[in-house]
Order: sequence, then C-alpha cells, then structure tokens
Amino acid sequence: MIYEQPKFMPGGDRYALIEFGNEMNLELNFMAQGLATAIEQSKTKGVVETAPCFASMLVHYDPDAIDFADLKKEMMALISSLGSSDDIELDSRLFYFPTVYLDPWTKECIDDYCAKITKKEYDPAFIARLNGLADANQFARVHSGTEYWVSALGFWPGLPFMMALDPRCVLTAPKYNPPRTWTPQGTVGMGGASTAIYPVATPGGYQIFARIPVPIWDTEKRFPQFENSICLFKPGDRVKFVPVGVEEFNDVEAKVKAGTYVYNVVEYQRFSVRNYKKWVKSLDLKARF
Amino acid sequence: MLEVIQPGLETSVQDYPGRIGFWNQGFPPSGPMDSWSFRLANLAVGNPAGAAGLECQYMGPTLKFLRDGVIAVCGADMQAKLDGEALAMWESIAVKAGQTLSMSSAKSGVRAYIAIAGGIDTPPWLGSRSTFHKAGVGGMGGNALKKGQVVPVAQAKGTPGRKVKADSRPVFSTDKTWTIEVVPGPNDDWVDAAGHKQFLATNWKLSSKSDRTGFRLDGPQWTFAEKAHKKAPEHGAEPSNIIDQGYPLGAINLAGQTPIILVNDGPSMGGFINPYTVPSAAFWKLGQSKPGDLYRFKSVSVDEAQGLRKKLNAICAPASIA
Repeated sequence: MIYEQPKFMPGGDRYALIEFGNEMNLELNFMAQGLATAIEQSKTKGVVETAPCFASMLVHYDPDAIDFADLKKEMMALISSLGSSDDIELDSRLFYFPTVYLDPWTKECIDDYCAKITKKEYDPAFIARLNGLADANQFARVHSGTEYWVSALGFWPGLPFMMALDPRCVLTAPKYNPPRTWTPQGTVGMGGASTAIYPVATPGGYQIFARIPVPIWDTEKRFPQFENSICLFKPGDRVKFVPVGVEEFNDVEAKVKAGTYVYNVVEYQRFSVRNYKKWVKSLDLKARF
Repeated sequence: MLEVIQPGLETSVQDYPGRIGFWNQGFPPSGPMDSWSFRLANLAVGNPAGAAGLECQYMGPTLKFLRDGVIAVCGADMQAKLDGEALAMWESIAVKAGQTLSMSSAKSGVRAYIAIAGGIDTPPWLGSRSTFHKAGVGGMGGNALKKGQVVPVAQAKGTPGRKVKADSRPVFSTDKTWTIEVVPGPNDDWVDAAGHKQFLATNWKLSSKSDRTGFRLDGPQWTFAEKAHKKAPEHGAEPSNIIDQGYPLGAINLAGQTPIILVNDGPSMGGFINPYTVPSAAFWKLGQSKPGDLYRFKSVSVDEAQGLRKKLNAICAPASIA
C-alpha cells in the first residue's frame, strides 16, 4: 500500500528514512525520486544528501544546521507539494545487454556457497518453484521477458536497483541467509521483487542466475558512455536482458577487453507514466510467458 | 614527501569527513574509522582537522622522510620509533629529511593515525583523498600503501612541540569490552520486544570477518515482530528482508540472522532491515576494537546522540592542543 502519511524514522544522529509505502510500484519510486529532486531544487537547509530507493528515501542531514523535528516539517511540506505522477514524462535510455541465463559462473558461486557456508537449492530452480513456474528455463524466459526500470543506484557504486515494468514478469525471491561473501562481476540477481547487476565482485544477498559481460562502471572511462560519470546508469534508465550463449558472452567479453565493444543503447525515447499505466491496465495479469 | 619502506598491514590515505555527496550513486564516504584520534593528530601539526593523513591498521608502516617536516601520531599505540628512538604520541614532532619512522603492531587499540604538516597531497577523487580500497579509488592509486611508493605531501611549516591535552584523548577499553551507543531505528518496529531486550542485554562478539565495509557480530538469534512475517512478497520471505532502501552509515544491518554494523566503506542501500543505528560519536570505538572484543549496546535518543556528536566535535578543536 501507499501510506496516507509518509513514515519518518530516525537513523542515528544524522540520517532519517522517509517511507512512502510498503510495496514496490512505479508510483512509490516516483515519490522518492520526486522528493529528492524537490530537495535539490529547494536547497533545503541542513540536507547534506539523499538516497532515494524503491519506496523510501534516506536523508543525510547536518544536525548543527537543522534538528530532527524541523527536518520532518520541511520534508512533509515538500512531499505535499509533489504533483501527480501521471503527468511525468521523462527521457529514458534503453540498454540492451547480452545475458547468459543459468550460466556456469553463478552456478560455481552457488556451489562454493553450498560447500563453504550452507546448503541451499540452486537459485533459479528455487525462484521458479516459489513463483509457480515449471523450471529454471521458464524462469529465465519470464525474467528476460520485460524491460527493467532503474529505480535507484546504491549498495555499491553504480549498482542499479531495478523493477520489472511488465507486471506479468514480476517475480519475488527471499535474500540469502547469511549473505554470500563473493559474487562474480556482472552477475544478475534478484531479491524481493528487485533485480540488480553486480558492477564488480562483491559480497551479496540476492539470488543469482545470470551474467553479463558488459561493464556498468568504469573508473578508467574507456567507453564513451562513462564520459560524465563512472557509473553507467541513472534513475529512469531501462534495461533489457537479451539471452545469449556462453560463446557470445566470450565474444563480447573479448571486445570489452580490447576496448572495441559498442554499447547497445537507444536514446530517443521518452517514458510517459500515463501511457505506461494505460498499457498495464490493458494486460491480462494472470498470463505468464 | 614520504617513501614507503614497509607498508604495514593496511595503511591508507584518508581525509575527514571523506567522500560526501555520492551516497545516491553508491559511493561511501570512507575516511578514518576513528575520526577523534585522526582530527587531533591533524590539529597537533597545525593542519585543518580534516586534512589527508594516514590510517594504519593493526600493524603500522615504516616510512622515510624525504624532506624536513612535522608529524604527529595518535590513536592506537604501535610503538612508533624515529630512527630507532621511541617517538612520543599525541604531540607534534619535527622530523628531518632522511629520518625513518617505524611502527609495529598495535599494543592498545587497532588504528593509528599519522598526520603530516601540510597534509598528504594525492589527487582528490570525487572531492576527497580518502581511499576506498574495495573499489580501487582515492588515495594512492586506489589502494593501501605499497612498498617503494613515494607519498606526496603539501608544503607547510608546522609547529613541533604541541601536545594534545590529556583529557582530550580517547580512552580505549582495556578489558576487551566496549559500550556502544545505538539509536533505535529506522526499522526497529520489525523486531519484537523480546528481540530488543535480547539485543541490549547481549555481549556481542566482533567477528574476524570484519573490515572497513562492515563489522559482523556473533551472538544469539533474533526474534521478530508480526510485521516481519506478514508482509508483501516483494520484501523477500525472510523476516529480516525489506524492500531495498537507503542505509544510514552506522546501521546495524540484520542480514538474515547476522548483524553487521555498516561502517565507513559500507553499502548505501540494500534489502535488509536496520533495527538500530550507531551514531557518529561512537564510531571511534568501533575503529579501535579488535575481533574477539565484546560490544554491549546502550540505547540513546536522537537528541542524546546529537549531544554526543556536539561534545566530540568540541573536543576535536584547536582548544584541545596546548
């Protein structure tokens, strides 16, 4: 649900978390991103930075400049000034990534976790079972059947938190308990209803099942996509995973190494929330790919 | 200029407060774990409190000075020596070109800080010189110091013989137990009354699987409120799973059943609950405790946590130097 009144919770002496609702939908992400933009534009006194995510926004504030109660007042005033999300139209880039589903690298990582930390079911089979799908193959088909919306960047520099735009492809999964100590670079994983790509080898808590060979962050800025930021994505981008085999993965990986890879991205589209909602309404939500 | 003769276990360039303003892209602030000792070291040599210096972890480096300067060593006692003679900590000392500073393992605390008049002059990256090792950015080529490197230092005169007042220095635990303040929230309502009671009554053991991204704690199993069990599936099924959200630095992040305190190089977002947050004024204690040490958490209000911050900032000021 979307709360009537956003919840405002402290995080120690210099953070507050504002929660807009307790589910995942585009509406809530627009509220979080909208509030972050409003704070930036109004230059609210004492706000150091913000971190909007799916259904909430974290504020980092300077307690010498504003106290918790005043911060809450300022935030609530800004929230009530946000317009309807139906009117939002924004430029949205679409990235195509060659993706090996049910790949050998994440399989090896899961096997290592089972051997060293604790036994668990093979991640794609586990997600398939939980979501009433026939098997890991159907899972791969459903997961790759939608565009993903980049809702936020976080956890690790440049890591995109994404949600499926096609409601027929929304899947859910629990996170690892305990988390993994490593994950291969370029791994695609999901936890809750969120899908992410691991920019580098890091620990992680998502179920993992696929891998891309294309860098999504680059401190050396070897590709033109990184000219303005070492992070490939920004909120409002979209991602489409294109299933390929290991051979094509290796081919692309070699091109990346050689610096000759060309990113497959379209930059002419605008995303209209009104059109999107209209499309969602027209779908048979019980259908699966 | 400093030549690295021996790098120590993990010695890195840090500044304070670090790389601020990029949390929404996933960049942590980094910076010194014990910013109390760090700031005092800088103030002693006459630098601004946040100037770039060196953080030495567990075992300090051996460094050769390539020009005259003024240094101060604060924090953990790593038995610093200058050309083999014991070097006084918590005060500014003149060093000559050709002299060697050598440090060994920490006898008390874990992290020592070396400030140099002028400050370390590596190129800033996203506004800070702090090293974020895991992503390979900041500091000396994105990493801890390596043998043979020459670390650039900005020119400055510095004044030797300035001491940090005794009552302005942090006092490290001598019995391996630490009282760490925590503020309940942001997700404290996901834990039930028994879970809260147990959290505050347990001596949590700092795990050896801890680093500058997170401090893992060993202790009993958590229990949860109904909210953590009955929720929309997009949270994830485990009780500690929540729709991914921004993490406060200092959050006690409950990953499954393992609490991890998110520290200076920690993640900015994720899908686990944060029932408590360690306020900034208690970070120095995390920075000076070692695996095996015990934490006892003490619940404080937002106001109290902000009061502690104010008090610490007042200590980390020029008035503490005589």
